[in-house]
Amino acid sequence: MSIRFTTPIFDVKNLNFKVRDQFILSNVSLEIFNGEYIAIIGPNGGGKTTLIRMLLGLEKATDGVIKIFGKKQKNFKEWNKIGYVPQRAAQVDQNFPATALDIVKMGRISKRKLFSRESQEDRDAVIEAMSKMDILNLKDKMIGTLSGGQRQRVMIARALASNPEILILDEPNTGVDTLSQQNFYKLLSKLNKEEKITIVFITHDVGVIADDIGRLFTINQKAIICNNPKEAMSCEEMSELYGISAHLVHNHKHEH
Amino acid sequence: MLELFQYEFMQRAFVAGILIAILASISGGFIVLKRYSMISETLAHAALVGVAVALVSSYNPLWIAVIVSIFAAWTIEFLRSSFALYSDAVLSILLSGSLAIAVIIVSIGGEFNTSLFTYLFGSILSVSNEDIFTILIFGTIALFLLVLFAKEFYFIAYDEELAKTSGVKVKFLNFLLVTIVAIIVALSIRIIGTLLIGALMIIPTIAALQFRVGILKTSLLSLFFAVSSVFLGMIISFHFSLPSGATIVLCVLSFFIASLFVNKK
Repeated sequence: MSIRFTTPIFDVKNLNFKVRDQFILSNVSLEIFNGEYIAIIGPNGGGKTTLIRMLLGLEKATDGVIKIFGKKQKNFKEWNKIGYVPQRAAQVDQNFPATALDIVKMGRISKRKLFSRESQEDRDAVIEAMSKMDILNLKDKMIGTLSGGQRQRVMIARALASNPEILILDEPNTGVDTLSQQNFYKLLSKLNKEEKITIVFITHDVGVIADDIGRLFTINQKAIICNNPKEAMSCEEMSELYGISAHLVHNHKHEH
Repeated sequence: MLELFQYEFMQRAFVAGILIAILASISGGFIVLKRYSMISETLAHAALVGVAVALVSSYNPLWIAVIVSIFAAWTIEFLRSSFALYSDAVLSILLSGSLAIAVIIVSIGGEFNTSLFTYLFGSILSVSNEDIFTILIFGTIALFLLVLFAKEFYFIAYDEELAKTSGVKVKFLNFLLVTIVAIIVALSIRIIGTLLIGALMIIPTIAALQFRVGILKTSLLSLFFAVSSVFLGMIISFHFSLPSGATIVLCVLSFFIASLFVNKK
């Protein structure tokens, strides 16, 4: 895969995160470039989610530097460029008074200016995001009545509604059935290839998407970056970091 | 029925009551969805400290109640965001602390009299023109801010972290929401009473949620239940010589019970 070395979307240098003197992340440096499809793997408790939360400004680094689109994180304001789908995407409060449309509309708030009302552009972007996720038929359905897979699509549509340049997904498959998962992987690949959206994706199913991803980050307190994911698991260093002797199983049925 | 509108005090009561119903139900919607319902009770008790100060110092109780209630709201939000304390415990501490302070102030002033009783249970029929003026000024500001930031408040209620990652100023807006709620609670206690205002803020939204519809319809239903309850409650209390605040609460409670049948599985 060719990567255009322009300003990285995320530029992380020597990032440390400690909780009560214990390192959760230690000396992590990485870059994420426009157009990439990156999978993040690692054992539970290894710091994958913490890393994502730090990139998004939800946790403060003990030390280190995070730059987003070339700006220091504290000066970065254009959050509409980043779409985030959290781990709990498929779990929602059953009673929350929101239709699928209400949720997707929330994605436009990052673009909203004070005193501005919903514009035609907002409405078009919301409908477009829902069409991409194939959930237009669900727009008036209450979020609590949707299946796990449908909610996941709603949450991705919400993230897409601000026309982001990068989509960050934190194990969004939790609580979603296998068929929905397969469709979901196809969709991510399509968003990356056709819409040119950079994808960063925490997953446990790296074997299934090995043919799609460009780079693989393994996070277990430290970060190991593998530029050839198909050979990732043969990399001794990575297996050591993951804590197990692992083999990558290619999914040959996977379509492109 | 129309004869009760001939009385000037009833006209004032209806205007004040309906204004409070609109404000309480709209602001209440956001705090219910944030699972923060108890804050209205706590702020009402904090407002009572303001009333106690006003009663012993002869200032306008409504203004002092607004100031003390805002101060309490900021204290709650500060404690909640700065210390590892459970939100409900913070509310409980402030509630009993405020009540204790109010009782001490009034007893030092030597006047544990009927005035304080009025603020505990509300007395809509004694609303003055000055009260209406104060409710109109503060109420308009509060309503303006609620409508201006409605989308952000709704997003924060849905998922605070997700809102933060979308660039929403969550901390500022959380402070703003509790400030607005503090103002509305303080304005309401004269009419509905400290012990009953929570009902008018919370129950209309809970009743509306039983219909399982989107946010706009939920807000409109909640508004309908609150305004209807105030309207019906005042008519019933006038005809049967019942306390207005308590009658209003029983009306809104009836809407809630009826709504449970809508959502019966």
